[in-house]
Amino acid sequence: MTPDTPFDFAFAGRVYRAQPGDTIASALARNGVRVLSRSFKYHRPRGLLCAAGHCPNCLVQVGDEPNVRACMRLVEPEMVVEPQNAWPSLGFDLMAVVGWLDRFLPVGFYYKAFIRPRALWPWFERFLRRAAGLGRVRSTTPPGHTLKKYLHADVVVIGGGRSGLQAAIAAARAGADVALFDEHPTLGGRLNITGEETAAAERAALLAQAAVQPNLRAYTQATVLGWFEDHWLPVMQGNCLLKVRAKAVVVATGAYEQPLLFPNNDLPGIMLAGAVRRLLHGHGVKPGKRAVVVTNNDEGWAVAAELLAAGVTVAALADTRLPDGGSARALPGVTVFWGHTVARGEGRGTLRRVWLAPLTEGGESARPTQAIPCDLLVVAAGSTPANGLLYQAGARIAYDEGIGQFVVQELPPGVFAAGRVTGRMGGDAAAIGRQAAAFALGETPNPAPIADDAPALPAPCYRPTPGKAFVCFCEDVTAKDIATAVAEGFDSLELVKRYATVTMGPCQGKMCAAASIHLTAAATGRAIAATGVTTARPPMTPVPLGVLAGPHLEPLRRTPLDEWHRRHGARMLVAGLWHRPEHYGDPTAEVLAVRQAVGLIDVSTLGKLRLTGPGVPAFLDRLYTTRMGDLPVGRVRYGLMANDEGVILDDGVTARLGEQEWYTTTTTGNAEAIYEWLQWWAQAGWGQGVHITDVTEDFAAFNLAGPQARAVLQALTTADLSNEAFPYLHVRQFDIAGVPCRVLRIGFTGELSYEIHCPAGFGLHVWEALLEAGAAFGIRPFGVEAQRVLRLEKAHIIIGQDTDAMSDPLSAGMAWAVKFDKADFLGRRSLVRVNSLGLRQRLVGFEVLTPGVTPEEGLQIVAPNGDGRPAIIGWVTSSRYSPTLGRAIGLCWLPADLAARPGAVFTIHRDAGPVQARVHHGPFYDPTGARLRG
Amino acid sequence: MLLLPCPNCGPRNVAEFRYGGEVHPRPSDPMAVTDDAWTDFIYMRANKAGVQKEWWYHRSGCGLWFLAERDTTTNTVLRTYLPRNGR
Repeated sequence: MTPDTPFDFAFAGRVYRAQPGDTIASALARNGVRVLSRSFKYHRPRGLLCAAGHCPNCLVQVGDEPNVRACMRLVEPEMVVEPQNAWPSLGFDLMAVVGWLDRFLPVGFYYKAFIRPRALWPWFERFLRRAAGLGRVRSTTPPGHTLKKYLHADVVVIGGGRSGLQAAIAAARAGADVALFDEHPTLGGRLNITGEETAAAERAALLAQAAVQPNLRAYTQATVLGWFEDHWLPVMQGNCLLKVRAKAVVVATGAYEQPLLFPNNDLPGIMLAGAVRRLLHGHGVKPGKRAVVVTNNDEGWAVAAELLAAGVTVAALADTRLPDGGSARALPGVTVFWGHTVARGEGRGTLRRVWLAPLTEGGESARPTQAIPCDLLVVAAGSTPANGLLYQAGARIAYDEGIGQFVVQELPPGVFAAGRVTGRMGGDAAAIGRQAAAFALGETPNPAPIADDAPALPAPCYRPTPGKAFVCFCEDVTAKDIATAVAEGFDSLELVKRYATVTMGPCQGKMCAAASIHLTAAATGRAIAATGVTTARPPMTPVPLGVLAGPHLEPLRRTPLDEWHRRHGARMLVAGLWHRPEHYGDPTAEVLAVRQAVGLIDVSTLGKLRLTGPGVPAFLDRLYTTRMGDLPVGRVRYGLMANDEGVILDDGVTARLGEQEWYTTTTTGNAEAIYEWLQWWAQAGWGQGVHITDVTEDFAAFNLAGPQARAVLQALTTADLSNEAFPYLHVRQFDIAGVPCRVLRIGFTGELSYEIHCPAGFGLHVWEALLEAGAAFGIRPFGVEAQRVLRLEKAHIIIGQDTDAMSDPLSAGMAWAVKFDKADFLGRRSLVRVNSLGLRQRLVGFEVLTPGVTPEEGLQIVAPNGDGRPAIIGWVTSSRYSPTLGRAIGLCWLPADLAARPGAVFTIHRDAGPVQARVHHGPFYDPTGARLRG
Repeated sequence: MLLLPCPNCGPRNVAEFRYGGEVHPRPSDPMAVTDDAWTDFIYMRANKAGVQKEWWYHRSGCGLWFLAERDTTTNTVLRTYLPRNGR
């Protein structure tokens, strides 16, 4: 994939040449491009700072992808890279005028400014949205392809630097299955960038050792986003989210280099030592022509020597320490300023010179004394441990006065720390790896000791020089802003964070958390330890929502007849996970076919349960409000289920197929929940002699309904279908078109009907045979819409549409389905109380009086209250135009006294004007039920 | 994501399970309890900060309802086991 010859790419409308192995950032540095972005609030020019994926300075737009870290993304031929947050251009950004207005945009300005006048807010909002922010999400971009994968390992090592590699190799050699994750394109961490001759050799040796371990898998450009319970790690690798389960985790995430706090410390050309070394040694790019180095440890001296070796002029080196002789190394031509720091940077657009100042005895920087022209300032002023994942894992981390850092004190079981993340340089990472392997393989107990004999990681300097010194590069928060926030009363770290938004930008505190602690401590006069830390939370790094969402997949259930429905013009609707035919083009004709001739509907989506055993009668009597235990063999009964609140859960029919075999259906939407509900009561103590099997997908089911249903069915079977041999509410098992079926005589539609259940694999055969036999009788397949009309004409309720989580069977007009004379059943206790208190609302039928109107389901029913204004007294749950009756009918909830009076007129509120309706009791069609019994 | 040990299947991702709420036994004779006691049974939960006995269902697995003892302050599962004699 990676090209091996130079190639071209575009940035900000210009074409540049990149070398193989370049990141976007290194390629731009190679071409002398120094300004990569404009800052969030003041639109200040920003350039490469950390080159390690930590800071926000190099966020760019790559094609349609916003917020790409240019230092972490390998550049590709023809890649089109655009800067973000600059208008009209990166070099000339009109919004930079905001920087001059900063006195009007103080810390927390969004709580103070732009509030009044309120009428102008839409204008302010448009301006602010344009002024602030990061990349641009193009709404026209097609959704990207994202993946999720699962990965299991004994030991996960996070960080592929020296310590991480050592730990991973040791753990693999100890027999553990190891996965190593590193967010950079290449393994090796600082071994890639230190420039020491031994480093390259050490890196090669480690990679060779890793390569021969078949049980060690290494993933690059793979960012661990967080730590979750039981070592569950989300890892982002490109467009893929790896969900990783480990038995032990070694955190070897190293440290974050920190900037120095002085005015204009954000000018392009000011870089952290790691960025300079990565450009020099990782990419062979000279980061500048004339450099000044400022340091508080030995690394600055090493970088100065490396710059000299690369042919870069080093004008000066300022070391905040006093000369101790030990650190000094020969730097020909470099003026060394001991006990000095950088007091300010200067330059328009990019760095032109720095002012050095001596430090006083108390560590304050005095008046600047030396101005040194330069185009590069190397800041080698200390690092903080990258221990956010350890925080998330529950490690105890406390401030160590001795080394001036928050360091890990105690680790939770199965979590290990190796290398600079411990706050110390090096340590025996291989030993940590072996401990992790032993823990994962169940060999030794935790916790492992944390190495503490290695030299401390140099701590950063947090004393700001007066002026506009940026603490937070993401949100343009200065050292002064933090002092102001404290002065305004936001005097705890968490409050400073929320008010000033420091640590809340894309870097998530990597560049500013430690500084904000020290500055808050200084402003409040509290100790560092007492100031504490803010909570570390996932994600460690900004993550595209698409990566978290994963691929666009939804489970879908199809009935055995799905293909037939689609072939015959069915318009499908989604019912839970199922797709069902809504109609086949003319729902009214489908209704009339059922009423006048015969129709056939696919009801395979019904939940179907098989219950066996001697305990079933008692079990069903406890679960249903209806009586079930005494159901004779060969009979079918409607069943209603409530919970102990007395709220309706579900309904369906139960057929007794044999002495110890029952067949029960549930509604389509509740099938799974009811199966779990029955299983719970069975497994929790009521299930002696009860066995429940979910056979939903084993059977296809159709309802053959209409006055001609018997004649159609008789054409396909020799069974006696006469009303005497097979009456209403009975079940029979016989062959239809040569397929053994169980047939239930029930009637949701209100017509003579047979619910035919056959093995799913024969579903299509039986269905087609029924349609063929019915052709002479005018049979039509009908869909859910026709069934809704048909059942409404019979005032049959649909659980979940006409009822909700407050509906009890008594209020729903189904007192006939509650058998109080049974022994205890679910809902009995509460329903006894409802019965004694009396009903407040009732579900009742209505006929629309206003001609030509079918009110929408969900409309409110209103009545004038005391002061003449309308009050809501009820609502419409079902409403349809009935082609059979020639008028609109429905079901609604009304106050019990109103609902009790057939013919009482009430008003449905509708935007287009009020609708009059009147209360109707019982079925609208065939109230005696003669048709379905016939 | 928590690992929950199913008594049948061993430790599995908690996403495979459905939480069934804390254990609160149903009165053996509901008609014998007062309205207040019945209301408490239906609507009130202890919501304990500490070790809680609770129901879990291995929905994407073996279909077992079982009991877990979980410390709600640390989200650690101390043990899981089968219900015996009606909870």
